[in-house]
Amino acid sequence: MDNIQIAIIGAGPAGISAALELKKLGYSDLIIFEREDEAGGTPRHCGHLGFGMFEFKRVLSGPNYAKKLSKLASQNGINIQLKSTLTKIEDGVLTFSTPNGIKQYKPTCTLLALGARETPRSDRLVSGTRSPDIITTGALQRFTYLQEIKPFDKAVVIGSEIVSFSALMSAKHAGIKIAAIIEEKSEIDSFCVIKYLVKYLLNIPVITNAKLKNINGEDKKVSSVTIFKDGKEEDIACDGVIFTGKFIPESSIMQKSFKDFNLNNYSLNVTQNFQTNSESFFVAGNALRGALAAFRCYFEGKKVAKNIHDYIRFKHQSQIIEISADENISWYYPSLLDLKSPIKKHLTTLRLKNRAKGVIKILLNGRVVSIKRVHALPFLSINIPWKDIELKVDDKIRLEFVKD
Amino acid sequence: MEHIDLNNLFPTKTSNFGTNEVFDVAVVGAGVVGTAIFKEFCEQGAKTVLIERANDILEGASKGNSAILHTGYDAPPDTLEHECIQRGYTEYMKIKDEMNLPFLNTKALVVAWNDEQLEKLDAILKKGLGNGVKELETLSHKQVLKREPNLCLDAKGAVLVHGESLIDPWSAPLAYLKKGIACGGKTAFSHEVKAGHYDGKYWELETSQKPIKAKVVINAAGLYGDIVDAIKGTKDFKIIPRKGQFVIFDETAYNLINSIILPVPTKRTKGVVITKTAFGNILVGPTAEDQESRTDSQTLRETLEDLKTKAFYMLPALRNHRVTATFAGLRPASDETYDRVSINEDKNWITAGGIRSTGLTASLGLAKHIFELHNTKYEKNPKADEKITVPNISEFAPRDNQKEGYGKIICHCECVTEREIKNACHGESGAGNIGGLKRRTRAMMGRCQGFNCEAAITKICEDEIKNHG
Repeated sequence: MDNIQIAIIGAGPAGISAALELKKLGYSDLIIFEREDEAGGTPRHCGHLGFGMFEFKRVLSGPNYAKKLSKLASQNGINIQLKSTLTKIEDGVLTFSTPNGIKQYKPTCTLLALGARETPRSDRLVSGTRSPDIITTGALQRFTYLQEIKPFDKAVVIGSEIVSFSALMSAKHAGIKIAAIIEEKSEIDSFCVIKYLVKYLLNIPVITNAKLKNINGEDKKVSSVTIFKDGKEEDIACDGVIFTGKFIPESSIMQKSFKDFNLNNYSLNVTQNFQTNSESFFVAGNALRGALAAFRCYFEGKKVAKNIHDYIRFKHQSQIIEISADENISWYYPSLLDLKSPIKKHLTTLRLKNRAKGVIKILLNGRVVSIKRVHALPFLSINIPWKDIELKVDDKIRLEFVKD
Repeated sequence: MEHIDLNNLFPTKTSNFGTNEVFDVAVVGAGVVGTAIFKEFCEQGAKTVLIERANDILEGASKGNSAILHTGYDAPPDTLEHECIQRGYTEYMKIKDEMNLPFLNTKALVVAWNDEQLEKLDAILKKGLGNGVKELETLSHKQVLKREPNLCLDAKGAVLVHGESLIDPWSAPLAYLKKGIACGGKTAFSHEVKAGHYDGKYWELETSQKPIKAKVVINAAGLYGDIVDAIKGTKDFKIIPRKGQFVIFDETAYNLINSIILPVPTKRTKGVVITKTAFGNILVGPTAEDQESRTDSQTLRETLEDLKTKAFYMLPALRNHRVTATFAGLRPASDETYDRVSINEDKNWITAGGIRSTGLTASLGLAKHIFELHNTKYEKNPKADEKITVPNISEFAPRDNQKEGYGKIICHCECVTEREIKNACHGESGAGNIGGLKRRTRAMMGRCQGFNCEAAITKICEDEIKNHG
């Protein structure tokens, strides 16, 4: 077993930018562990443009953005161990499976930048047949951009989060026709302008208020989907189904290894410094709450690097209180407060599960201390002001959303 | 861009014997029962062929079950089912180490959730003891919760069945197949038996590929058991496929229970089981839904929701865990189970039909029983004692990713290696489709369901098939 100062798990935007920043701060005993055989994370297979504008002031495609990150890491002498899968976290020791056998490390500090995945068909309990032609956007991107394989000819896209348009672009790249986009909600789950672009430029029908009833087919082949809209059932012929969005953190190893797991965020509870209750562990990027844009993960990586720097320098005793949230809130940050660290004016960031008007309240021991009126869209983050709230140990804070 | 049909990624298998080859025995159906019979007859020295309509083993009833090795504590007393379960259990214990098959003795609790069920526990205990299962005891409410602290407080009491255990439902039949092949047995996948003619000495079976000639036919055709059986001339039973839907929870839930949690059975069904699996998950199911179709294994949202609700009642902490997979299996139920095991001596035809949920445990015992029914002396195969192993894919022993030189891990959720995927593509007992690849490796069976690896695995398989024919 090796002692190292800093271990970063995941060589995506958050992990690499944290490593770059830590390197700048003078840390050299640092390893990034990556399970894939190349660095770069999810952007590696997002074949379309739209990356790098904020961090590199250039418009890059996902793969070029990933290459840029990877290049920066190697130019700065950062040690990235590829093909290293974290299989266990126990008593501060990290165990990895690698092609050269089992490796163990005991870091002074660990950053979990594990990324996220889309919710597949199974976890949505969708009725119907099973088939290898029922996939997620992530799988479609990997088929079309990484392996140059076209798995089917005509697909139905389920969900209309921003990522579903990435599915459209991947499909276009591979020459796959899209029969329709199906959305359960009354409006699409991203900016309305996109709806018109899809409808009129790409000529793809966007069917809202429609529930996916069944995936039809025999013998592991998809023949159509049945949707339910306005009290009627309708079949749409297709030979593939793409489930998009509903991102969740790659957090199973966290849930297995730590007690303090947050079920709204599906990740570990973290303080305003991204520090967990197991103090030498930090979490950042999509591992904290599902999908954010790559540049947000990149900047969060920089932030957490500074917090890790402080932690290693000062090792101050933290004083933690917990923040809970109701079920309307799909994710929120932070979920812990360290009273020994500064608390910013706009501390809480959150998103709601559904499009809604109402108020978000911060309750301190059951008493409302802050309130904000919102017209929330599920894909936009909301910042909640904290003003001058006096806090002490044993206080209980809760976030609630009350619909109009 | 290259279009790849994911359902036809693997080439159709052909047989490696000539049309003039004559077999002692033709086993129809390569489910768990068929493969166990194949192994038994090959070891005993009979010249045997295994005929299967699909391109791989376990494509029918045997692919979806709860993967429990049963003691037979609740089997109908003094029946063939009872005998075969216990014989099968003993036999499995004999071969498991040699074949590298996993086994975890978790024990089972038959839990009573109300007073009415509590009253039935005594009868369950007595029946078990009567069935020769000695290691049984009754536990009080307090004892149940001590053993299973995460169970709902409504648990009134339970019968603890010490012998109930977990096995890998896919590797065991694969090991049986490989053993049969090693002993010289032949296979004919993608050969659907369409008709047959008996000339008083030999059966000539007409298949979707070439005809196959054998002295004796053993029908282990599972969901198609009645159709194949009619070939002998009489229609003795009807298969009524019984669908069982399952929900699999993520590995994060694995430690919520220690034992298999069984319900007190009702007249209609054995009820919903909660158990760990050999692959590190929690399984909830099955349902019992009779249907006409032999192929429709669709899941239904409402049923899956209902399974979740039932499981959350019994094991409230399960709520905090995600669903990894959902699936449905079809059991080949018939009007009378196990009575469908019979021999027609005039026609040299043996039927092993209507073997339902206990088939996984009973298969090895049933194979012995059928060999006795067959009542023919052969010269024991010299290779019968040869050691045949299958790769371990369970969580109960070290897996390939713990051994050096595996290339890289391809399926991250289930930690499946490139080497495992490649190996599963090869040979007579290699995968015949993506489902078969999944059952041999666990690839794409985890929480992301292929988000990360389906494309890469497709590519690896395609290359392997191209390069190795």
